[in-house]
Amino acid sequence: MAKEMKLLEPGRAPRKRKFGIKHGGKRPGKKAKVMPLHGQKKVKIDKKMQKLFRKRAREYDSDDEEDETPVPATAATRSLASIANKRNEEDDIESEDPSEDEGAAGRQKTWNKSTIDVNNQFSDDEGEDDSEIQPGITKFTEGCRAFKMAFMKIIKKSVSDDLLGPVLSGHKKLIIDKLAEEEAEHKIKGEAKKEKQMVAEKGHVKPASNYLDSHEKFLISVATKGVVKLFNAVNKAQTAQKGLDSSRTKDAKVISKRTKEAFFSELGKPTLPAIGTSAKANASTGKVEDEQPAWAPLRDNYMLTSTRLKDWDKMPDKNASDEIGKASEDSSSEED
Amino acid sequence: MRKKKNGFRRPVIVKQSKQQQHQPSVDPITGKKIPKSFVFSRGKLPGSLKQLQMDLRKLMLPYTALSLKEKKRNNLKDFLNVAGPMGVTHFLILSKTASAPYLRVATTPQGPTLTFKIHEYSLAADIARSQLRPRCPKDLFKNSALIVLSGFVSGDPPLQLTTNMFQNIFPTIDVKTVKLPSCQRILLLNYNKDTKLIDFRHYSIRLQPVGVTRRIRKLVQSHQVPDLRNLQDVSDFVTKAGYGSESEADEEAATVTLSSDIGRMNRASTKSAVKLQEIGPRMTLQLVRVEKGLCSGEVLFSEFGEADGKGKGKGKSDDEMKYEEDSEGGEDEEEQDGEHPEDSEDDEELD
Repeated sequence: MAKEMKLLEPGRAPRKRKFGIKHGGKRPGKKAKVMPLHGQKKVKIDKKMQKLFRKRAREYDSDDEEDETPVPATAATRSLASIANKRNEEDDIESEDPSEDEGAAGRQKTWNKSTIDVNNQFSDDEGEDDSEIQPGITKFTEGCRAFKMAFMKIIKKSVSDDLLGPVLSGHKKLIIDKLAEEEAEHKIKGEAKKEKQMVAEKGHVKPASNYLDSHEKFLISVATKGVVKLFNAVNKAQTAQKGLDSSRTKDAKVISKRTKEAFFSELGKPTLPAIGTSAKANASTGKVEDEQPAWAPLRDNYMLTSTRLKDWDKMPDKNASDEIGKASEDSSSEED
Repeated sequence: MRKKKNGFRRPVIVKQSKQQQHQPSVDPITGKKIPKSFVFSRGKLPGSLKQLQMDLRKLMLPYTALSLKEKKRNNLKDFLNVAGPMGVTHFLILSKTASAPYLRVATTPQGPTLTFKIHEYSLAADIARSQLRPRCPKDLFKNSALIVLSGFVSGDPPLQLTTNMFQNIFPTIDVKTVKLPSCQRILLLNYNKDTKLIDFRHYSIRLQPVGVTRRIRKLVQSHQVPDLRNLQDVSDFVTKAGYGSESEADEEAATVTLSSDIGRMNRASTKSAVKLQEIGPRMTLQLVRVEKGLCSGEVLFSEFGEADGKGKGKGKSDDEMKYEEDSEGGEDEEEQDGEHPEDSEDDEELD
C-alpha cells in the first residue's frame, strides 16, 4: 500500500489543491460546532496576517539562503517548493472562508521553514481527519513517522551540561566571550558600589544589641551624676522658696534680699570660672577668698594699681580736667 | 565687585510651623536670650549622615528648624541672612570628606567655628534597635535638653571655647524657676584626656520612686486591673516581694528628693531614682580646628599644628565668607568676656 502511495507522490503537488478543497469543504461544518462565536473579524485579521506571514516567510527563507551558504542546493530548492506549497494552501484558505483553526495552522506553517515541518503540517491535518481514510492522506503516514523519528531523536539528544545550553557552535565562543565580559563588568561595578558604600558609611557604628560596655556605663553614670546634681540644686532652691509668696510684702523682702545676695556673690566670682568635672561649682565658690573678684571696684587694690590715681589729690590744679578723663579710661579698661 | 556678581540669590526655603514662628526669642521668666540653631549640611551627604542630621535637629528641638530645606545652590551666606531675622545664634554644619564626616559648630554671625571630626557615630535608630524597650514619651522633645560637660580641663583654650560654645547652645536654666518635669533629656559631652576624644551622648531622663516594688509601680503606672490568679489573697499582691529592688542597691547615689510632684509616680519629698536611657545619636568627636570667623578667618587652633596660618582655602570656596578680621589679637578672651557670669553659674549646676 505504502509503495503505491509513494509512486503517486510525484503528482502530489498539483493534486494537493484539490485535497485542500476537499479538506476545507469539510471544515466549515466542523468549525461551526466548535467555535460559532468567531465572526468576520477574525477573517479580516487572518487575511492581513497571511500577507504578513507570506512576506515574513519570504524574507526568512531568503535570509536563510544568504546566511547558510554551505547548505546544499537541493535543500534550497526544497524550501522553495515548500513555500510554493504553503502559498497554495493559503490561497485555498483564503477562498474558502478560512476558520480560526486553519489560521493558526497557517501561522504555524509560515513560521516553520524546513520541509520536514511542512510534512508535519500535513500529518497534523491527517491526524484530524483520521476517521475518514483517503488514499491521498495515508501516503503521508510514512513521512509522519519519519518526522516523528527525527523529532524524537532530537528530543532524546542529551545536550551538553553547559552553562550556555545548546548554542550553535559558530556563535559559542562569541557568546562565551560576551558573557565573560558582562560578568567582569558586573564585578567591577559591584566592587565600585561596595567601595562607595564603604566610604559613605565610614564611621557609622551600629551598637551591639542589648549590651552596654563599660565605657557606656561610665558615661551613663557621669550623666546621672550631673542630673542628680541639678535636681538636688533645683530642689534646694525651690524648697527654700516654697513658703514665700512674692505678693506678700514680707516675703517679697526676703526674696529680694536673697536675690541681692546672689547678685553680690556673682560679682565676687573670679573672672574665669574653673571648668572641670562635677566638683566645679564647689571649687569656684571656695576660691572666692583667694582670687580677685571679677568686677574691678570690688578688688582690694582698686584704684591703687594705677600710679596716676594714687596721688590724684596732689596733682596741680591746671591738669585736673585732663586727669579726670584719664582716670575714667583706666577704670573702664580694668573692667574689661 | 563681588556683591554685584552675586546680586540676587534665592533665599533659603525655611519651612517652619506656626508654633515655631511664634517662639519667643527671650525667656519669659529669666529674660535671657534663647539660643536657636540651624542644623544643615554642606555638600552632598550619604543617607546615613542625612539621618544623623535629622537626629541632631531633633536633639536641638524645640529651638531649631526641624524641616529646614536646603538646596545645592544655597551657600553659607544665605543661611546667615535668614539667621539674623529669626534670631538663630548657632549653626551646626555637617559635611563629609573621603576620610571622615565632620561637624562644625559655629556661633553666628561672627564665629568662632569649631570643627570636629566625627570618628564614630550611631544614629538614634541604631540605638533604638539595640535596646530591648526603646523609650520615647511624646513630650520628650518639647523641651530643650540639659547639657552636662565633664572632663574638660580648664586652662586649655580650645577646650574652654568648646565648653562655652556648648553651654550656650542650649537655653540656660534658672534653678529657682525651672520645672523639673520639663527636664526630659540630657546631652553629655565627656572629654577623654588620653585620647583627646569627646564622647557625645544623648539620654532621656526617667524618674522612678525608690522602695516601691515593681508590681505596685506598674499598677500605679498603667491603672489596669492586675492579674491576681496566682495569689491566695489580695494582700499577697502587696507583700510578695518583687524583683525590682535588686538594681536599686548600686544606685543609691542616683537618687534625688523632689520638691514637687512629677507625674503620677513621683511624689514630692519622696526619694526617686534617676534612670537614664540613651536615645541617640551617639558620636565620638575630635576637635580638629578652631577658626575665628564663621567657617573662615584666622585659625586659632589646629590639631595638626598649622595654627599660625590663615584659614585654608580648601573646603571654604563654597562658603565665600569673608569677614574683616579685626586685628585685636584677643583670641579666646573675647569669647570669654561675651559670656555672662550668670550663665556660667547656671551651667555649673549641671556639671
